[in-house]
Amino acid sequence: MSAPVIKCESVYKVFGINAKKMLQGVSGNVDAKSFQDAGCIVGVNNASFEVSKGEMLVVMGLSGSGKSTLLRCISRLTDATAGKIYIEGQDLLALKNKELIELRRNKMGMVFQSFALLPHKTVLENIAFPLQIKGIKTEDSISKAVEMAKLVGLEGRENYFPRELSGGQQQRVGIARSLAVEPDIWFLDEPFSALDPLIRKEMQDEFLRLQGALKKTIMFVTHDFDEALRLADRIAIMKDGIIEQLDTPANIVLSPATEYVRKFTQEVPREKVLKIESVMDPTSDTKNLSDLKVSKDAIIETVAEKILGQEKPVSVVDSNNKVVGIVKPSKVIHTVFGGRKENL
Amino acid sequence: MKNTINYTAKLISVFLLILTIFFVEAKADKSGVIKIAIHNWSSQLVGATVIGELMKKVDEKVEYVLMDSQTVYQSMADGDIDIVHEIWETQFGESYNKALSGGGIEEILTHDAVTRMGWWYPEYVEKECPGLPEWKALNKCSSIFARTDSNGKGVYIGGPVEWSQHDAERIKALGMNFVVKSLSSAGSIWKELDQAVKNEKPIVVFNWSPNFIGAKYKGKFVDFPKHDPKCISDASWGINPKKLYDCDNPINGYLKLAVNDDFKKNHPKGYKLIKHMNFSNSDIDKMANYVDTGGLAIPEAAEEWLKDHKDKWFIWIK
Amino acid sequence: MEIIKKYPNSFQWLFLLIVFFGLCFGIDVPEGYKYIRSIAEYSKDPNLSSYNLFGIEVRYYAYDTLWRLPPLLGWLPIWVNDSLFFLLNDWMPIEFWNADIKEFQTRPLILQITRVISATMLFLIEFIREILIGGIKTVVAFTSWDWIDANPWAELPGIPWTIVTAGAFILGYKLNGKGLAIFSAITMIYISVFGQWKPSMETLSFVLVAAPISFLLGLVLGIWAYRSKRVEGALNPILNVMQTMPHYSYLVPIMVIFGVGDHAGAIATIIFATPPMVRLTLLGLRKVSPDVVHAGKMSGCNDFQLLFKVLIPTARTDILIGVNQVIMQCLAMAVIASFIGAKGLGWNLLLALNQLRIGLALEAGICITLIAVLLDKMSLAWAHKQTDYFANLSFFERHRYGIFFVGAVVVGLIFASVGSFYFKEGFNYLYEVPHNKGISGEPFWNAGVDWIWDTFFQTLKIFNTWLIQDVLQPMRAAFLRMPVVATFVLVMGTGYIVGGIRSALVVGGFTLFIALSPWWDRALVTAYMATFGVIASGIIGIIVGSLAAQNKTSTKIVLGICDTLQTFPSFVYLIPVMMLFGVTDTSVLIAVIVYATIPATRYTIEGLRSVPPALHDAASMSGVTPMQRLLKIQFPLAFPHIMLGINQTVVFALFMVIIGAFIGTEDLGQYILKALSDVKGGGKGLILGLCVAFIGLAVDNLIRTWANKRKKLLGLEDY
Ligand SMILES: Nc1ncnc2c1ncn2[C@@H]1O[C@H](COP(=O)(O)OP(=O)(O)OP(=O)(O)O)[C@@H](O)[C@H]1O
Ligand SMILES: [Mg+2]
Repeated sequence: MSAPVIKCESVYKVFGINAKKMLQGVSGNVDAKSFQDAGCIVGVNNASFEVSKGEMLVVMGLSGSGKSTLLRCISRLTDATAGKIYIEGQDLLALKNKELIELRRNKMGMVFQSFALLPHKTVLENIAFPLQIKGIKTEDSISKAVEMAKLVGLEGRENYFPRELSGGQQQRVGIARSLAVEPDIWFLDEPFSALDPLIRKEMQDEFLRLQGALKKTIMFVTHDFDEALRLADRIAIMKDGIIEQLDTPANIVLSPATEYVRKFTQEVPREKVLKIESVMDPTSDTKNLSDLKVSKDAIIETVAEKILGQEKPVSVVDSNNKVVGIVKPSKVIHTVFGGRKENL
Repeated sequence: MKNTINYTAKLISVFLLILTIFFVEAKADKSGVIKIAIHNWSSQLVGATVIGELMKKVDEKVEYVLMDSQTVYQSMADGDIDIVHEIWETQFGESYNKALSGGGIEEILTHDAVTRMGWWYPEYVEKECPGLPEWKALNKCSSIFARTDSNGKGVYIGGPVEWSQHDAERIKALGMNFVVKSLSSAGSIWKELDQAVKNEKPIVVFNWSPNFIGAKYKGKFVDFPKHDPKCISDASWGINPKKLYDCDNPINGYLKLAVNDDFKKNHPKGYKLIKHMNFSNSDIDKMANYVDTGGLAIPEAAEEWLKDHKDKWFIWIK
Repeated sequence: MEIIKKYPNSFQWLFLLIVFFGLCFGIDVPEGYKYIRSIAEYSKDPNLSSYNLFGIEVRYYAYDTLWRLPPLLGWLPIWVNDSLFFLLNDWMPIEFWNADIKEFQTRPLILQITRVISATMLFLIEFIREILIGGIKTVVAFTSWDWIDANPWAELPGIPWTIVTAGAFILGYKLNGKGLAIFSAITMIYISVFGQWKPSMETLSFVLVAAPISFLLGLVLGIWAYRSKRVEGALNPILNVMQTMPHYSYLVPIMVIFGVGDHAGAIATIIFATPPMVRLTLLGLRKVSPDVVHAGKMSGCNDFQLLFKVLIPTARTDILIGVNQVIMQCLAMAVIASFIGAKGLGWNLLLALNQLRIGLALEAGICITLIAVLLDKMSLAWAHKQTDYFANLSFFERHRYGIFFVGAVVVGLIFASVGSFYFKEGFNYLYEVPHNKGISGEPFWNAGVDWIWDTFFQTLKIFNTWLIQDVLQPMRAAFLRMPVVATFVLVMGTGYIVGGIRSALVVGGFTLFIALSPWWDRALVTAYMATFGVIASGIIGIIVGSLAAQNKTSTKIVLGICDTLQTFPSFVYLIPVMMLFGVTDTSVLIAVIVYATIPATRYTIEGLRSVPPALHDAASMSGVTPMQRLLKIQFPLAFPHIMLGINQTVVFALFMVIIGAFIGTEDLGQYILKALSDVKGGGKGLILGLCVAFIGLAVDNLIRTWANKRKKLLGLEDY
C-alpha cells in the first residue's frame, strides 16, 4: 500500500487560553470534564488515523462532537494544540506560511458547512476566486468557472450574487469553488445538508461519478448515515472529540467497538451495509442450488429481491467467478426484517 | 538572508520617499508668494485685496490667508504670513508688541488714519440718559440698556471675543452695572444696532473709527477715564487701585502695517510698494462702506476703490 | 418591605433624589460667590487663593469644598501648552540640508517633521486645485519661481467648467446610469451658475485630499485594531474622546503645530473624519464570519489577499457607511477648517455670516451639501460596480466613456474659445463664471427674512421673553445653585443605579476632572443648555419619529430630510435663528434643538421599524388598536435603540451649544473661542475640549450601560 495521504498522530485541539499548558505531558484520551472546569473546551481528543490515496473517509457524529474542528485541524485552519499531522509525508504543522499557502492553492479544497461564499462576488467570481488567487488570468479562470458552474448545475445563474440564491444553490457554488483548482485532497463539511432529498441523491451520484474518475482523497462530514453508507470507504464515528471507531461500514455496524457506536448504528438497516459475504454459508451441498449467482461483495439490499425470488440457496462467487459459498433466502429474510436488535 | 534584503529594500524605499518629500518641501517653502493676512471685518478684507492687486501690478504673486486677528502676529514672526496691514492699537497692540519684541517682524509704517475703539451709542440715547458721553452717566441709567436675560443689568454689545477689548475687566474695575454680550461678528453688531435705531431703543455697542457706521448714524463714543499706558500694566494706577483696565482705550490710536522681516530680501518690489503706501481715515471708511452698505463683494469693492483712487496708488507703485 | 422588594429601583431613585435635594438646600451659597470667575486670570484680587505646581501659579477663589472644588487642575492647560512649545521648538534639534541657502541648518525634530507633513499636504491640495482651476504652484514645486517667470506658458490653465460638468456627467453615467449622471450635471451647473465655481473647486480639492487620507487612515487603524486586541483597547478611549470633543478645541494645537492654511484645515478635517471610519471598519470586520475567512484561506490567500480580497470586501457594507461618514464629516468641517486658513466655500460661508448676508451664506451652504451628496453617491456607486464577463465588446464600446470624455473636452475647449470672443467685458462665462457674476438668490432670501421679521416680530418677542424669563433663567440659576457634592451624588448615584459601582466610578471620574478644572461654573452652563436642548429635541424627535414610522413613505421622506439636514454645515443653523431671536440664549437653544432633533428622530424611526413584523402580526391578531400597538409593543422593544439616539442627541446638542458661542453664550464654548485667538491657547483649548467631551462621555456611559442591560433583558442583539 502506498504511503497515506493524510496521517494524524494523537491530534488534540483544545480551545481556551491555557490549552497548551494543560495538555503538557498527557497521553491518550484526556478528560473533557476536568478541562471544562479549567475553562477549556476539548474539540478534538487524541485523534490518530490515516487516509490513503483515493480513499473516502466519512466522519460522523452528533452535533458538537468535533467533526468540523477535526477537518480544520487537518487543513490547518486552526493549529492543532498537540499531535502530528502529515500530508503526503510532510509535517503540516512545521510548514512555513508560504508553503502552507502553496499547499492550499494546489492540493486542497474545502466545502464549508455554512457555504462561506464571498457576498460581494457573483457565482462565477466566487468559483473563479481560488484560481484568481493563484494568479491565473481572468479570462481563463472565468472560463473554468463557467465549466464548474455547469458541472454543479448552476447554468443561467452565473451572474447572481450569493444573497440571490437558495441555500442549496449556494452550497453548489461552494462545491464548485472547492473543485475549481482540482485539488487532490478534498474536505467536505456537510456539503449536501442544505439540499432537498432529490437533488441530494443526484449530487451524491454525481459525486460518486466524479470520485470514480478523479480518485481524490476525501474527508467527508455528514449527519446522514445513508449518505455515509453510499459514499464511504471507511467511517469514523466521533463523540466529544474522540474517534470512537474508525472502520469499514460493515465492521462498524457488525462489530461496534463501543456502546456508543452500537447505539449510534442501531437503527441502521443491515441490508444497506452488509455484503452477501457476511450472510454466506460455506458450500456444503453444491447440487441443490439455484442457477442464480451473486457476487460476494454485493450489498445485500441490492440483491435481496433476486435472492428472495429463489427457493433454493444461491451460490456466491468471488471476482473470478469462482464459487466461494452459498446464501439461503431465509437468512436474507432474517437480515432484512428481523434480528435488527441482536448482533449477528 | 532573504528577509534582511527585503527589509533593507523597504528601508531604502521609505528613505527615498522621505527624500522626495523633503525635496518638494524645500521647493514649496520657497517664499515666492506674498501671503497677505485677512480677517473678519470688511475694511481689512478690502484693504488686503487692494494691496494684493497693487502687488500684482508690481509683478509680485499674492495669496490671501484667513487668520485669526490675534494669533496672526506670531504667525507673521514665524514666517507663515508676510503682511498684516491693519494693526489697530487698541485691539491688537498687546499681541503685536509681544510678537514684535520676540523678533521676526519689521514694522513698516503707521497709517495716517487715527483710530479709536470703544463703547458707542446712537445720538438719540442722550435724550433718555442725560450726561452722556460721560461713563458715570451711562452707568446711572444702566437699567434702560437692560434686556430680558441680563438680570436688570445694562447690556453692552461687544465684538467677537477674539477682538479682545477687556470690557468685562473694565466693567469690573469701574464697578459698572453692566454685562458684556460678545457677538460673533461685526455684522451681527450692525444688525443689533439697525434694529435698535429702527425702534429708537437705547443701545450701546462696540464700534470703532474709522468705520462706515459714523456716516450712517449719528452717535458718540462713551468717555471713560483717560487712557494711560500704566493703566493696563499697573493696578494701583487709576480710580480703582486694585485693578487694571480702569480707563478708556487710547483715543488717538495708531493703525500700523508690518511685515515678516525676510520680506525685504524676498520681495524687493513689494517692499518698495508698501514703504510708500498709506491709508487714511476716509480710505478705511470707504472700504468698509462699499461692502457693508453698498453690498458689494470684497473683490468688487477693492476694484471700486482702486478705480476711485488712481492718483493715490499711482504714486505708490512708481 | 414588600414594596421595596417589588420596586427596588424606584426606591433607589427616590433615595437618591432625597439626598440630592437635601444637599442642594442644605448647603448655602457662600457669601461673595460670583459666577464669573474668569477675571481671576488677570486681576490680583486679595481674596484670591493660589498655589504653585510645576512652576505654574494658579489663582482662584476658594470656597467651601462642598460648594465648589478648588481648581487643582488649573496648571494643566498651561503645562500642556508649555510642553507643546518645548517639543516643537527645543526638543531634539537635528541638522538638515537647506537647498535654498545651500547650507546645513538646525531645526527641532518635531518641527521638521510637521513642516514636511504640512508641505506634502499642501502640495497635494494645490496639485488637485490647480488641475481644476489653474495655477502655478505645482509647476513651481518642480522648477522654480524664476523659471516660471521666464516661461509663463507653463502655468496650468484650469479646466473650463463645461468640461468638468461633462466629465461629472459621464462619470455619473458610467458609475450608476442616468440618474446619477443627471444629478452630477445639475450639481455642477448649479455651482457654476450661482458663481460658486472657484470656491467650490477649492473646497473640492481640499476634500479630495482629506477624504482619501481619512479613509485610508481609518481603514488601516481599523484593521490594526481588528488584528490586535491591545491596539483596540488603546484606540477605543482615544476615539471616544475625539468623537465627543468640540472641533474648535483642537484647532489651536493644530495651528501651533502645523501653521495655518489649507493643509492645516485638511489635517483638522482628517483628525475629525477618521474616528468614525475606524469604528465602522472594525465593526464590519468583526461581523465577517470565521467561515468566510477560512474559505479565503483554503483558497490559498496570503495575508494580503485575505485582507483585500476577502475581509474588506465582505465587510464592505459597514466600510461604505464609513466612507459616507468620512465624506460628510469632511464637508461638515469645511467651515470650521476655514478658521485656520482653509479656502473655499467654508470661508465664503463664514465671511457671509460675518456680514450677516444670509442669502449668500445659504447659497454657499447649499453648494457644500450638493458636493457632499454627489461625492457620497459616486463613491457608493463606484464601490458597488460590477463587471460583466460575458460582454463581447468592440473597441468603441469598451472605451466609449473615454471617447465621450475626449469629445467633451474638445467641445468644451471650443466653447471656451468661442466664449473668449463673444464675451467682451473680460469674463468668459463659458470658461468660468466669476464669483460675483453668477445668479444670486440673495435678495429673495433677504426679503423672506425681512418678511418673517416684520410679520412675526411681536409674537416672537413675546415668546422669547417668556422663554428667557420663565424657563431659561430659572433653569440656569438652578444648575448654578447646585453644590458640587450634590452634583457628584446625583451623577454617581445615577451611575450606581444604572450600572453598578463601575459605572459610578467612571462617570464620577469624568465629573471630577471637570470639577477640578478652572471651568466648573462654565461647564454647568453648558450642561444646562445641553440638558434643555436634549429634553426638547428628545420629545420632538420621538414624537416626529413615531408618527413618521407609521408607514413606509413617511419613513422614507423623514429619513431623507434627516440626511439632508445632517449634511448642512452646522453653522448654517445659526443664521436663521439669529435673525429671528437675536443674540440670546434662545437662539442658541433653538439651533440646538433643531440640530439635535435629527438623531432623535432617526433613531426613533429605526428603532420602531426594526421591531420584528411577526410581532406586529401577532399583535394585530390579538386585536389591539394601532395606539396600543405603538405604546405596548413597539415602544418597549424599540426603547433601547431610541435611547442610543438620545445618546447621539446629547453629542449633537453639546456640539451646537459650543458653536453657540458665536452668538455669545457664556459657557465653555466662549472660552474655547477665546483660546482660538490666543497663541498660547493650545493647552486651554484642549483641556476645555476635554471638559466638553467628558460631559458627553459621562452621559454616553450611562445611556449605553442602561440600553445594553435593557437589550439583554429583551433578548435583542447588541448593536
Ligand atoms: N472557536 C472555538 N472556540 C471555542 N470552542 C469551539 C470553537 N469552535 C468549536 N468549538 C467547540 O468545539 C466543539 C466541536 O465543534 P465542531 O464545530 O467541531 O462540532 P461539529 O461536530 O462540527 O458540529 P456540527 O455537526 O453542529 O457542525 C464544540 O463543543 C464547540 O463548541
Ligand atoms: Mg460542523
